[in-house]
Amino acid sequence: MTTISAASPPIGRTVKKWLLPAVPFAILVALWGLAVLLFDPPVGVLPSPALVFEAPFNSDPYLANVGASVQRLILGFLVAASTGVVVGVAAGLSKPIAEFLGPLTTFMNALSGIAWIPLAVAWFGPGTGMVVFIVWNAAFFLVFGNTMLGVRLVPDVLQNGLLTLGASRMDVIRQVIVPGAMPYIMSGLRSGLGFGWRAVIAAELVGASLGLGAWIFEQQEFSRMDNIMAGALTIGVIGMVMDRWLLAPLERRTIERWGMVGSAS
Amino acid sequence: MTVPTGGAAQAAPPTISVEGLSHSFTDPQTRKTVHALDDVNLEILPGDFVTVVGPSGCGKTTLLNILAGFIRPSAGKAFVNGRAIERPGADRGVVFQELAILPWRTVYRNIAHGLEIQGVAKPEIDERVNRMTSLVGLEGFEGHYPHQLSGGMRQRVAVARTWVSDPEIILMDEPFAAVDAMTRLTLQEELNDLTVRTGKTVFFITHSVEEAVFLGDRVMALSARPGRIKEEVHVPVPRAERSWERMSHDEALQDTVEHVLSLVRGEAVEPTGQDG
Repeated sequence: MTTISAASPPIGRTVKKWLLPAVPFAILVALWGLAVLLFDPPVGVLPSPALVFEAPFNSDPYLANVGASVQRLILGFLVAASTGVVVGVAAGLSKPIAEFLGPLTTFMNALSGIAWIPLAVAWFGPGTGMVVFIVWNAAFFLVFGNTMLGVRLVPDVLQNGLLTLGASRMDVIRQVIVPGAMPYIMSGLRSGLGFGWRAVIAAELVGASLGLGAWIFEQQEFSRMDNIMAGALTIGVIGMVMDRWLLAPLERRTIERWGMVGSAS
Repeated sequence: MTVPTGGAAQAAPPTISVEGLSHSFTDPQTRKTVHALDDVNLEILPGDFVTVVGPSGCGKTTLLNILAGFIRPSAGKAFVNGRAIERPGADRGVVFQELAILPWRTVYRNIAHGLEIQGVAKPEIDERVNRMTSLVGLEGFEGHYPHQLSGGMRQRVAVARTWVSDPEIILMDEPFAAVDAMTRLTLQEELNDLTVRTGKTVFFITHSVEEAVFLGDRVMALSARPGRIKEEVHVPVPRAERSWERMSHDEALQDTVEHVLSLVRGEAVEPTGQDG
């Protein structure tokens, strides 16, 4: 379809897509290994890469903890994404409502989601309910705010164009407003998922007995630096995987394909 | 494609009639009252191609927006087949100056959109869209997205999308203003062809006198703000016989262009304190 993609050979593309981004990670791990070799720190301070990479296989509750965290994220994010998009579209359709709710959104986004944790523990008690609430809270206002903005920015001419084809208000919302707001909705979902994942870990540190956050916190008592680092790495990897394999493909299939954004990574 | 209007065999009633139409609004930036239109009267008969030409900011687009049903006039009335215009409807297709085609729909799905909304059956949609794409030279591009097309092609999609649902009247707002000069000539000839073949009633707005004369049965010359119809000029050569080639040496057509130009130019020179 584009001349550029036809011109670049497939091998070059594979290198660019997979190998190049892996280089900084390789350098980081190499530096880490070198530091362990040179300074020989106690395992409780800085374990070797090998020890950390083995940790998940040696500690029994690892998978259960990963599963618990991911489950909470999915639950909280799905609720936040659906409520954020629906309420965002509804609010964006009316200028007075959008202006009325704008400052609240800014306020809520400025307020760190973590600050809600003590309150959430009081309201829901420790456990999944509380973590899910924190995730929802972290992601909702991002999705909502972006959706509302995106809806406001859909050009009138596209809506008028559909009305002259005999469309109802509902047709316009479904076929013009929502797809037209997609670049903003996607960006809201993307940052919402990122912030939601961070919120899961933070909430689990304090208010859960299972989950990666809780596990890391618990390992601190036993000075199991290898497990703590394995947990931290897992958090990063899961975050990256979700963005790359869940949201980036969704963007490629929608707004990039429609020519509504330059292609992102 | 020509649909007889109504059942009566008597002289066809006007498809669109406008009576004593005036419109003013408050400019959102300057907060001043703008008198866009003043006592405009016109009638468009079935199969008419009426062009409206006038200086920038003379209320041409306001007039089209009233006919489309996007805005209500301050005074006077506009009718389609005797019914007062109150809102946009599928009986009045609009081709906009800024493209109104949807970036997330392929060429095919953009053209099929109106038919989908009207609940036309799939096989019929298929047949009509295919006929339309070949009529406007979009064959082979059905699966493309608008951003993959040139400006001229996108404009063809916009025209096809409005045409395919066969509205009674098509309102066009400087549809070729944004394409390059060469493409514009081609698109104008294609549009002339299309309207001659389909017998469609068209209301076409432009600031180009040549375009107005080339396309129209009648040219309405509008005055500067507040826009009122200065003169209605009949173009002497039947539309079926027109081409840019002929435009360049036919004296009757040349005279018409001169005449309309003099009507419009007198207007543009007068300082109105408004820029368009």
